[in-house]
Amino acid sequence: MSETVNTIRRFIFDNFLFDAGEDDLGNDDSFLEQGIIDSTGVLELVEWLEETFSISVDDEELIPENLDSVNRLAAYVARKTA
Amino acid sequence: MLIPDFLIGRAARNPDRNVLLYGKNRITYGRLLAAARSLAAWLDDLGLEPGFRGALLTDEPFEYLASYFGILLAGGTVVGLNTQTSDRSLLYTLQDSEAGLLVANRKFFRHLQRVLPFAGSLAAVAVTGSREPVPGAGNLEYENLTRLLEDDTAPDRILPYRSPCDLAQIIYTSGTTGRPKGVMLRHVNLVANTRSIIEYLRLGENDRVMAVLPFFYSYGNSVMLTHIAAGGSLVVNQSFMYPNVILQQMVEHRVTGFSGVPSSYAILLSRSAIETFTFPDLRYITQAGAAMSPALVHKLKKVFPGVDIFIMYGQTEASARLSYLDPGEVDKRPDSIGKAIPGVELQLLGRDGRPVPVGETGEIVARGPNVMAGYWQRPEETSAVLRKEGLWTGDLARQDDEGFFYIVSRKSDIIKSGSHRIGPKEIEDTIAGHPAVHEVAVVGIPDDILDERIRACVVLHHGASCSEKELLKHCRIELPAYKVPQEVVFLEQLPKTATGKVKKSALKGVST
Repeated sequence: MSETVNTIRRFIFDNFLFDAGEDDLGNDDSFLEQGIIDSTGVLELVEWLEETFSISVDDEELIPENLDSVNRLAAYVARKTA
Repeated sequence: MLIPDFLIGRAARNPDRNVLLYGKNRITYGRLLAAARSLAAWLDDLGLEPGFRGALLTDEPFEYLASYFGILLAGGTVVGLNTQTSDRSLLYTLQDSEAGLLVANRKFFRHLQRVLPFAGSLAAVAVTGSREPVPGAGNLEYENLTRLLEDDTAPDRILPYRSPCDLAQIIYTSGTTGRPKGVMLRHVNLVANTRSIIEYLRLGENDRVMAVLPFFYSYGNSVMLTHIAAGGSLVVNQSFMYPNVILQQMVEHRVTGFSGVPSSYAILLSRSAIETFTFPDLRYITQAGAAMSPALVHKLKKVFPGVDIFIMYGQTEASARLSYLDPGEVDKRPDSIGKAIPGVELQLLGRDGRPVPVGETGEIVARGPNVMAGYWQRPEETSAVLRKEGLWTGDLARQDDEGFFYIVSRKSDIIKSGSHRIGPKEIEDTIAGHPAVHEVAVVGIPDDILDERIRACVVLHHGASCSEKELLKHCRIELPAYKVPQEVVFLEQLPKTATGKVKKSALKGVST
């Protein structure tokens, strides 16, 4: 799980946060409320999830409960790959 | 008639009707007006000069609307700021508009701290949830915006007189020649356009629109004004990150209307479970902002059976709207932008200012009460588009023998990405500021979802090296996120015409 968390954090920093420091993103911080990812960013994120973890994200699964923080993403990936 | 009269009239008739629904919040017309009056009273006490520019930096719907109407009631001019911003963009807009007031949400604290000391025209700042002045506010008049908007005890007082011909809003729009320019809209422009849209959409008190477009954009602004003027309700969710949540809200709130840009519909059709939903209350959907492909229109007709589809066209310089296609014509001519809206006259003119023959291509020139007063403090750019024939839109079109208009192309190289209008020059200037870059040209590339995505074509200095990642990081720091290119192409040289002008059309075709 912690490896997944690190992989997700790396992706978010590389693609959306660039100049931010590690402390600027908590693992429970909402991407939506913090303004980290926008609607097109979500599409990039989903594409990356599918490629990186070899999973298929169904349209019904595009909800904040699955995608809106590092920890939620990690838990979603764990469920999908279990 | 002034814009706040829409709200005052509706609040008098139906004070307990919900005007705003978002998250768990329900805001009535009465409460919205009370909050606007409270802010207006504070502004009146400050004694700002009539017509002062009040800038808004918030994506919280109640804060935005209450401040919008509060500034207008106090005799000011609203400048809605894009909330996807950077220090540089924010400071530019505050300085260019010579804003006397800034109303902001606390989440923009970091920007405020860095920008306020340099925004010399500011006299007053109000920020949510903060009793103490935010750092950087210095000696500015300061107020806690949350307290102001919760105060419903402000008595109805006499506020500064404004005429329908006074400015109501300055909306910033991307230019091809450099920094964004402010479109000056008078009360009369916005009131006329609002009434015209209400007429053709047949909006009434029972309409509830799903408002997904930001209010600081012309299209979102017009969705907001038309529904308040009609006494309807706005169900607001402007993030569009989770389309399924929006679809659930449409069902839950029994929305009767939805307004989007082509990318809103592309996202709904490709990345949501829309086919599992039904919308028994949905009466109409509207589309504007860019051309929508007939294939997308066809798909929308399938997922929204029996719903009227309004294809619309306009620009910020026309308060929003210039033409619409009657839903009854959509099957027959899905690629048309229809005919002029009520009260507006559209013509197709050649370069010589004379009408072109039917079937031939000319520039769309508009006349009507909705046409802007000009660009803020830019007389040359104003006289280039506001000429004796009317507003020259820069869009080329043809007309069929039944009078329907069809867009052929745009004269400008503005990039239309999602709901954003992006001038390439600002991005080019930013990238050119990187020490390794010799030359750069930025173009829009067709994209199934976004309509266009941003491509930067870069030539590095001889012997210099720079990765795509490094360039994008440079852009991230300098530009708002939506202006950061989606792709970077490194080239040996840029294709140019004999006169040395970059051939942008050739750059759209280079392989990545």
